[in-house]
Amino acid sequence: MLAIYKKELRAYFTSLIGYLFIAFLLVFIGVFQYMVNLRGGYANFAYAVHDTTTFFLLLVPMLTMRILAEEKKQRTDQLIFTSPVSIERIIFGKYLALITVFAVAVGIICLYPLVLHNYGAVNYAVAYSTIGAFFLLGCTYMAIGMFLSALTESQVFAAVLTFMVILFTLMIDMLVEMLPTGHLLALAILLVLAFIIAVITYVMMKNKIVTIATAVLLIGGLLIAYFKNAEMFDGSLARVFGWLSISSRFQLFQYGICNFSAYVYYISLIVLFVFLTIQALKKRRWEA
Amino acid sequence: MITVENLVKQYGDFRAVDDLSFTVEKGEILGFLGPNGAGKSTTMNMITGYNSATEGNVTINGFNVYDEPEKAKRCIGYLPEIPPVYPDMRVKEYLKFCTELKEVPKKDRKAEVERVMELLHVKHMENKLIKHLSKGYRQRVGLAQALVGNPEVLILDEPTVGLDPMQITWMRELIRSLGREHTIILSSHILFEVNAVCDRVLIINHGKKVVIDTPDNIIRTLGGTTGVRVVVDAGEEAFGNVIGKLGNVSQWNALEENPGEGLHAYAVYFADDKENRDHLFRLFAAQSVTLYEMNAIQKTLEDVFIEMTGKEDATC
Repeated sequence: MLAIYKKELRAYFTSLIGYLFIAFLLVFIGVFQYMVNLRGGYANFAYAVHDTTTFFLLLVPMLTMRILAEEKKQRTDQLIFTSPVSIERIIFGKYLALITVFAVAVGIICLYPLVLHNYGAVNYAVAYSTIGAFFLLGCTYMAIGMFLSALTESQVFAAVLTFMVILFTLMIDMLVEMLPTGHLLALAILLVLAFIIAVITYVMMKNKIVTIATAVLLIGGLLIAYFKNAEMFDGSLARVFGWLSISSRFQLFQYGICNFSAYVYYISLIVLFVFLTIQALKKRRWEA
Repeated sequence: MITVENLVKQYGDFRAVDDLSFTVEKGEILGFLGPNGAGKSTTMNMITGYNSATEGNVTINGFNVYDEPEKAKRCIGYLPEIPPVYPDMRVKEYLKFCTELKEVPKKDRKAEVERVMELLHVKHMENKLIKHLSKGYRQRVGLAQALVGNPEVLILDEPTVGLDPMQITWMRELIRSLGREHTIILSSHILFEVNAVCDRVLIINHGKKVVIDTPDNIIRTLGGTTGVRVVVDAGEEAFGNVIGKLGNVSQWNALEENPGEGLHAYAVYFADDKENRDHLFRLFAAQSVTLYEMNAIQKTLEDVFIEMTGKEDATC
């Protein structure tokens, strides 16, 4: 695990990517700090941090796109997956390397509120709890990016996919507002979603029985629930999409509310996507 | 040392490897032969634990590759078809990474890197980026990687592909010398190479085992002698008349060679698939045909290989 970790870190810091990532992140947050805190005159550093999260859209794929796709492309996965190191430890090593690069940048960001202190009173609790959430949010996106990089051998494809997924999570709150609230429409959309999940299951597993079972279970469950209690479906779409809204959980921090459930939510997603990455690679051993 | 039992790899409806079983003894070099797409690389990927088998088992040194992967993989050095090198690393840095990956004890790492670099003659390239190396040197670095940690088993997938003739000879010598201490499976589609280097040969086609034996035995039992080459002073018509007097000749033909002024070379085949050189000799003597040369037509491993793997392909 240490060998992989060191190799990945070296790869980021012997090429430009690691430095570029850190530099861009610091520039973006610096610009926002200047605009919001120094020129705008707001003492809350969390506003600057919040505005910077949009740039994960560009920065995360930059770092994660190569992490597994490149190994596959260059066939070096044949070296690491035939070494005595287990797939789990390889993925942990790689993920830790990603986080370390990000942590270097976040470490520097931790100095910003201290700088700001020279110009007025800074609420450190708000600033640092927001930076903590910012770090976990970034780590969540990195885990998603790593998972998507495991699915393909094309770095470009991995980057585009990651970009789209992060974009979707950023837009989800906007989308939720546009969603219909009536229960019949909600049912229809949920049924379409269930169908899409079944199709994805088939594409991933190529197993008809599991696919049909998933479809019957989801669609049947929805229909039964609907006929028993249709009112349950009022506003259900907003709730379902709300679960997926990674970025909205970040909102409360800037108002000084330390939202512990958001920390738990991010950590759960990280665990889920690291697990999914491991499963994706194990599955590839069966297919390739 | 290596036991492969009923190995199957299924891709949808296509069976890439079909019920393959064989064992390799300690210190043996097994040549793995087959036309392109026969399932050689797929089998090697399953032996090394890179891919999973649909059915069957692989045991290395007593460890099942699928049940105890970490212990089994510790015994294996693998050189895949394309050397698994990182283009942006330097040779020495890459090999050092390999010692860490293969869990060579920390105090031995430096010496181990030096040892494999010496063995593969890449010491003078140690500070070059791998992307700047030629194909031959990349292959050497790839093999150096497989030797890191001195594993007992070496799995080499076409180790001489892309090398120039000098390097090929050198590589074969090296593999033969490695065979004294290591158990080696070596795949190739160059028959001469397998013949020169390996103790035993496994021929596969369409994922199935065709034969496994020593090269000599394969030629003897499967190839055998099917005909006799003779050089006589008779023209084609006269030779046809003479040879017709022997009842069991199945076919004969003139060979495209020029044995000398007024001489002709022919290949004669018998129905009973024996040489019958004594019969030929007496026949020619009785018919006043002067016999200048006579020798059995030996099949090479190449002929056997084409015969065994080419039959079905020839029809498609």
